[in-house]
Amino acid sequence: MLLTVEKEVQNVTTILKVKGLIDITTTNIIEPYLEEMDGMETVILDFSGLEFIDSTGIGSIMNAIYLSREKNFTLKLQGIDEMTNDVFETVGLYEILEAFHGEVI
Amino acid sequence: MYKDGMTYVHQKNSDGLTIMDKTLKREINLARNIQSQLLNGKTPVFDGGEVSGSSVPARLIGGDYYDFYPLVNGKIRIVIGDVMGKGIPAAMLMILTRGAFRSAAETTKSPADTLTSMNQALYADLRTLKSFVTLLCADWDPETSTLTYANAGHNLPLYIKGKEQVVQELPKIKGIMVGGLPNQVYNNHSIQLHDKDTVFFYTDGIIEAQNHNKEQYKLERLVQTLMENKQKCVGDIEKCVMESIEKFTEGAPQRDDITMVLLKISDQKAEITSLNSPLMK
Repeated sequence: MLLTVEKEVQNVTTILKVKGLIDITTTNIIEPYLEEMDGMETVILDFSGLEFIDSTGIGSIMNAIYLSREKNFTLKLQGIDEMTNDVFETVGLYEILEAFHGEVI
Repeated sequence: MYKDGMTYVHQKNSDGLTIMDKTLKREINLARNIQSQLLNGKTPVFDGGEVSGSSVPARLIGGDYYDFYPLVNGKIRIVIGDVMGKGIPAAMLMILTRGAFRSAAETTKSPADTLTSMNQALYADLRTLKSFVTLLCADWDPETSTLTYANAGHNLPLYIKGKEQVVQELPKIKGIMVGGLPNQVYNNHSIQLHDKDTVFFYTDGIIEAQNHNKEQYKLERLVQTLMENKQKCVGDIEKCVMESIEKFTEGAPQRDDITMVLLKISDQKAEITSLNSPLMK
């Protein structure tokens, strides 16, 4: 499997641990997890196991940020390595996260 | 039997393709030709320097974009961009981006204003389609030898100094991708360029080009290639970069489109008047 998502629920917090690639071939795997976050107060996306993310993958994270407003949860990103951090910083993903009251932990 | 325009016969011909396969193939090729002609259009010719650009899609058609727009005051507006995703959907949005750039370039005074206007024009559509575009826009002024640029989430161009053995990124300027947030205001930054300096604009498909062992071409190889060929004209530098990538990737299929734009400065000064704005060849 190119991408696996491990889901951990603790009361009103969900942690989604992604492992592998988030790209044009795998975004359809992560997106259903994000769609079912009704009733959650916090969603943590854990990128510790991320090997590669392309622009379609960044699009999925952006959608998660927009979804956090729609479904009223706080989105937190964690476990971002240096290379992914550079990409997120370049495209301005953190500014969008901040605008929607999310954060990097 | 009655068939409407949406009905296809799924019977395979001698070449193993259905009528729908053939129709799709023909239409994709037509779309590829349209994109290729729009992308590889006229290049401006002007005193005091030269520009060139090229783009190779990873699939039949791609989502990378570059363009030149000669302004009436003698400046050249350059843009390079990368649409989220790949293939036909990205190509459709690339055409949308091109229209927004051409219309904004005509009416805006600076690269930052162009990006602000493009975000204004494209934001709602891009959000509906859950997509975005990274763009870097720059004005080259041959009269003052100044490059003014603004950034919407794109990687910074490389600055190859003509008289020193130095290749470095242009000074950082922040700005989020087009389609990320509404009402974004972008900022300009300017640098002075000198004789034989080159600016290399590119998309990340170059440094992320992979060989069969899944190793990436990386920035270091690109910098090395640019350093070794910096004395050449823009067309030849472009060819050397492409050859170096092809040698490294050894024909491995690529995940992303590869696009570059070069601007090289020469000592020859332009006498700018409203009558000698850059020509397109």
